[in-house]
Amino acid sequence: MTSIARFERVTYTYPGAPLPALRDVSLSVEPAEVILVLGGSGSGKSTFLRALNGLVPHFHGGSFAGRVTVDEFDTRTARPHDLARRVGLVFQDPEDQTVMTTVEREIAFGLENLGVESRAITRLVEEALVSLGLSYLRHAPLAELSGGELQKVALAGVIATQPHLLLLDEPTSQLDPVSSEELLSAVRRLSEDTGATIVLAEHRVERCLHLATRVLYMEDGMVTVDAAPQEFAHWAVDGHRELLPPVARLFARRLNGRAKGRGEAAHLPMTVKDARHMLDRSDALTPARRAVAGDGAPGDVVLQASGLTVGYAREAPLLENVTLRLRRGELVALMGENGAGKSTLVRHFNGLLQPQRGSVTLLGRDVAALSVAEAARSCALLGQNPNDYFVRDTVAEEIDHTLAHLGFDQRQRGALAARIVAELDLADFLERDPRALSGGERTRVALAAVACGDPALVILDEPTRGMDPTRKLGLAATLRRWVAAGRCVLVVTHDVEFAARCATRVVVLGDGGVLADGPAHDVLNGSLFFSTQVNRLLRHALPGILHEDEVCWEASPA
Amino acid sequence: MALVASSAGTAAAPERSLVTDAAHTPRSRRRGARGAPPTRGLAARRPAAAAAYVGALAFAALAVVNPVQVGVLLALTVAVLALNGRLREALPYARVALAVGLFLALLNPLFSRGGLDVLWESDLGPLTITLTAQGIAFGVVTAARLAAVVLAFALFTVALDPDDQLGLLSAVSFRSGLVLSLASRLFPVLSRDAARIADAQRARGVELDRGTRRDRVRVRIPLLSALLTRSLERAVDVAAAMEARGYGSARRSRWVHRRPWRATDAALVAGAALAASAMLGGLVTGAAAYDFFPLLDDPWPQLADAWWILLLTALVVPAVMVAGGRR
Repeated sequence: MTSIARFERVTYTYPGAPLPALRDVSLSVEPAEVILVLGGSGSGKSTFLRALNGLVPHFHGGSFAGRVTVDEFDTRTARPHDLARRVGLVFQDPEDQTVMTTVEREIAFGLENLGVESRAITRLVEEALVSLGLSYLRHAPLAELSGGELQKVALAGVIATQPHLLLLDEPTSQLDPVSSEELLSAVRRLSEDTGATIVLAEHRVERCLHLATRVLYMEDGMVTVDAAPQEFAHWAVDGHRELLPPVARLFARRLNGRAKGRGEAAHLPMTVKDARHMLDRSDALTPARRAVAGDGAPGDVVLQASGLTVGYAREAPLLENVTLRLRRGELVALMGENGAGKSTLVRHFNGLLQPQRGSVTLLGRDVAALSVAEAARSCALLGQNPNDYFVRDTVAEEIDHTLAHLGFDQRQRGALAARIVAELDLADFLERDPRALSGGERTRVALAAVACGDPALVILDEPTRGMDPTRKLGLAATLRRWVAAGRCVLVVTHDVEFAARCATRVVVLGDGGVLADGPAHDVLNGSLFFSTQVNRLLRHALPGILHEDEVCWEASPA
Repeated sequence: MALVASSAGTAAAPERSLVTDAAHTPRSRRRGARGAPPTRGLAARRPAAAAAYVGALAFAALAVVNPVQVGVLLALTVAVLALNGRLREALPYARVALAVGLFLALLNPLFSRGGLDVLWESDLGPLTITLTAQGIAFGVVTAARLAAVVLAFALFTVALDPDDQLGLLSAVSFRSGLVLSLASRLFPVLSRDAARIADAQRARGVELDRGTRRDRVRVRIPLLSALLTRSLERAVDVAAAMEARGYGSARRSRWVHRRPWRATDAALVAGAALAASAMLGGLVTGAAAYDFFPLLDDPWPQLADAWWILLLTALVVPAVMVAGGRR
């Protein structure tokens, strides 16, 4: 079989970077493969993809050694636009890859660039719209689309050019789960219906590992694992379990102490359906409830929202009559569909927005009577994009900037800075420019910048978006420590697995109000969508189980 | 279109962030017909036909000098904006036109000394100011002409889809058109970025809206670096995406949009051609001439001139047809 693309000992360093982003990468991409590229932030996934369409080195510059060939083209001589007919790339942020102002014309843009004649463009645009179910949006202005729709338009613009090789660089990192699911379903259909070769860099393994025919794992610019999904899963069982879907982690526990890598017993499921089949055919072991430490009782009220009606138009409020009480020692996950009003609601908690009706009190003080800056001493809010926070040259200055504006004296500033640096493990970055750090590191610095004043309430809006599984575990541990120390943490998230792992309480917004509010196990148990993989698998056998740490395997009764 | 503004609070009233965004509407409420193509107004017409009409309107507004005729054309331009439902979007342009027009209207009389009806005279040493009725009229009419021209261009900008504008400009300069399209696309995105960055600072205890004007400027300066960084990152990402999608290939084709020619398109083009011809006729024959100095000509007789009646008819009829949704 002729390879579609081939890397031959590729080493690449970005201009001014101290270390290579790709190190001695050699592999080939075969037709109809679906390759999932995994790895932490800064491991080289994006660079790997960009090397496949020539953006590395032509667009980014830097030093490039080795050779990448796509079809008969050598990317050292063929520029990205020469490869555009063969290789399509969908980027992370849909806002940053669209050029025109309406859907139809955005899809036509790439075809026009390639010199396709007008009549053919009409046909190809139509086909791309139909294949991704976007026909109803054909005339819609891009500015009116949601992130998920915009990303589908970007995908449509790429597949309209009928590339042999489709590259997707964390295409769901900016999307909510429903939009992610829709996008990945479209990718799966594309793969199944057309046999397209797809290279997908993603963090959400539970959503795409089952789509893959091959998995690459990258560390420090090197491809350290290149294997079939099952083989990869068995590799991950030893020391990298966070890279596995929750149901695979659950069954990996069953493997402990048993021979691995042989026969059906060693198979690790990638989906709930797969896992259910395995349970039905199960051998002597069955899952059982495992005792885990309970959460402490919540303390004093930190924030009280009473009868809140919020929204941007008085005639069409997003949420009406919301009453919510947050206490010390609680880690609350605020969930709900995209646009349900989650981010809008929490922006009322520090006074960034004022409610149409109702009131918010923060540690007993009416937020309406405080400026946002005054509220910041008690309520830290971390938005979705950490880059919005960086206005100083070093991490240390960023932290001091907040503490100075919050009115702490020099001695207090030193103590508080030392504390947050230790809590978030930032000692190695203090003199670095925050903008030069990797995505996960930037999030930690931004969190330090907002939470360094020891506020009673810390609010994080989608903190796990685009975060690799290892960083997610680290963040969950930090938040739980803060809660144990008496703070209240509110996390706005679509990430059900993250919420299940760290939240003590879950609030679900929808239909203009609060749909559910209660202990995490009560709310997430049995839910159709806001539920974990493990819960969906075991909800009948072990109601209330949310993740694999709550399960052990026991011998089946005879 | 997403609109973001982070309003400045005061010491008495806490700051508020006003953010409206399509993304803030729940998915379930956003279902339904979206992005239906425009069925009325200039936006629904062939871009070239609409552009021809707007061009003729601007040309007439620029060339006519008779005060009454200028007033009629200004009113017509405003009426066409209103008929297209774009009056509110044209307000920023109107403000600019008003500011510049006011400046011209105030400045002109001071330096126009040809009038005979002296209203006020002042001898300020080397500078003698003579305010005449003719000078004032000339200033006001010049301002009105400028306003009519600005609003005609505003009509082009707000009533035509930016992609249509890009299509038109592509014939002349694709790159210029692309810049226009990108600006339309990214300006709201950058506005959102700016609002978020300001809110992020407020949430860190920075009082952006208190103190003297100087204090407010000083605390906002660091925000510029964040905004600039974000803008540059976006610019680089967009450039990479464009290159990955084949931008820069040797031969670029142009997708001819499928919007068919209709009677109203023909009416717009015919109206534009007739209006331009009538205006040219009026200029060449001198029938459109009007003198402000030394005494104001009588403006009314010109309203019965054939070139003017033709011009007005050629501009009004297509506008009414288009606004009425005629195909």
